[in-house]
Amino acid sequence: MTYIPRKPTLFARIPWWLLAILLLFTLGYWFIATDAGYAQIFAAVSGGLGTTLWVTGVAFAAATTLGLLVALARTSDNRILRELATFYVEIIRGIPVLVFLFYVAFVGAPAMVSGLNWLLQPFDTVITIRQFDFAWRAIVALTVCYSAFIAEIFRAGIESVDRGQLEAARSLGLSRFKCFRLVVAPQALRTILPPLANDFVSMIKDSALVSALGVQDITQLGKVYSSGTFLFFETYNVVALLYLTLTISLSLLVRLLERHLRENHR
Amino acid sequence: MSSLRTTLLAAAATLILGLSAASAQDLPDLAGQEITAVTENAYVPLNFADPATGEGIGFEYDLFNEIAKRLNAKVTWELASWDVMIQAVRDGQFDVGMDGITINDERKAQIDFSDSYLTSQQLMLVRADETRFTDAASFATDPTLLIGAQAGTTNFYVAVYNVLDGDEANPRIKLFDTFGASVQALQANDVDTVLMDQTSANGYIGANPGAFKVVGTPLGTEDFGFIFAPGSDLVAPVNAALAQIKADGTMEALQQKWFYEYNSAH
Repeated sequence: MTYIPRKPTLFARIPWWLLAILLLFTLGYWFIATDAGYAQIFAAVSGGLGTTLWVTGVAFAAATTLGLLVALARTSDNRILRELATFYVEIIRGIPVLVFLFYVAFVGAPAMVSGLNWLLQPFDTVITIRQFDFAWRAIVALTVCYSAFIAEIFRAGIESVDRGQLEAARSLGLSRFKCFRLVVAPQALRTILPPLANDFVSMIKDSALVSALGVQDITQLGKVYSSGTFLFFETYNVVALLYLTLTISLSLLVRLLERHLRENHR
Repeated sequence: MSSLRTTLLAAAATLILGLSAASAQDLPDLAGQEITAVTENAYVPLNFADPATGEGIGFEYDLFNEIAKRLNAKVTWELASWDVMIQAVRDGQFDVGMDGITINDERKAQIDFSDSYLTSQQLMLVRADETRFTDAASFATDPTLLIGAQAGTTNFYVAVYNVLDGDEANPRIKLFDTFGASVQALQANDVDTVLMDQTSANGYIGANPGAFKVVGTPLGTEDFGFIFAPGSDLVAPVNAALAQIKADGTMEALQQKWFYEYNSAH
């Protein structure tokens, strides 16, 4: 008896979870549009949307760059570089983002400013700690924390490329850099992109921690509004809806990207 | 002076022995009712963890235990963070909440307040080398000076309405999550003053010798109240006991104990 696969019916193919999410969004935004109380909360909290996206965007771009450098050091032939990079990754990965945020804000930032002032001594300019905005300190902290995770993603991608290909490329006389650019990078990218995109979604959520430094992101504006009015439950409903809007639309994009990569690979 | 001290000591002794000066007969009898009270243990000297034992102690603990004793009720103490506390009291998970909560009209729409049990007195904590201002008025006139506060707390409201111009979104106020973070920011030169009561100020001055001092006169007319779920039948009895505690000198003895005698910087 041979098994003949049947084409799934339309009913079976519908992504019900997606419909449920759409229904949730419709309900949420319908509330905001029609209920005066929710409309006011939305007006107060959505002002932080720009800050959340800006902090996350800048930190993620910087973390990706730094993560790539660390990953190259982790996979380099130089023992000292390898040890240093491994030390960095292990230490940073083991500290909670919130704790690290306070370190950067109140220990790292003052130290950086006095270091800069020492360097600037001959030029008669003095930088004050206030010129180092809390939003930038938050960006530095998120960058460093995430660079360690992203470095591991890159390392896995680089190591997923067969060593034989590298040896072949080297024996053809390609330079180290050309090897990386023409042989390793195009193949590693396929392994790297999906987890990298997932880290971006995580970072959007972790960026809520910058509210501890008073950076005016979605969460901080929610905290301020709710502690003044005691409408905690209602405010956090709106805060959650805003984050969901960002994270789910991004997750859907990642899915499309993954599918696209799979199809091109066949 | 010595006679006043004797009186106060006598009052404190009375309190410790539990021999309430006024008769408890004219107060409602709650017949051993269990009251679940919640606080945060993050607000010296109102509610905090005793550094030696880890036990929750403070002015609010003593005051509410005294109220419960006079009403013949039993108190079970619970802990929650600020954001969770108010919502949980509103939902009826806890019977009463306290955390130096300022009574205001917006909040009255969400929960029930007791009568005021304390009018806050806020002092300006500044760096020890501060010379640019000497009180709230001279602070307010210089737009470059910044103040650190926690959203929705007493020091935020006093900063807005007693020091600055009554604009809750004034950019001269930098918001942090906790007293600790605000004081860190003061030490790091990010802000120029943090408002707090005498006991907290003494604590920070004692813990960091030579780092801080207090300037100006006490500010603020914020009233603190216990919070209850809307329509709670505990409000009336608690208010009655509170009135009696104020009338018979017990309140004064408690304030003396926690605001003048207690030293958090041992």
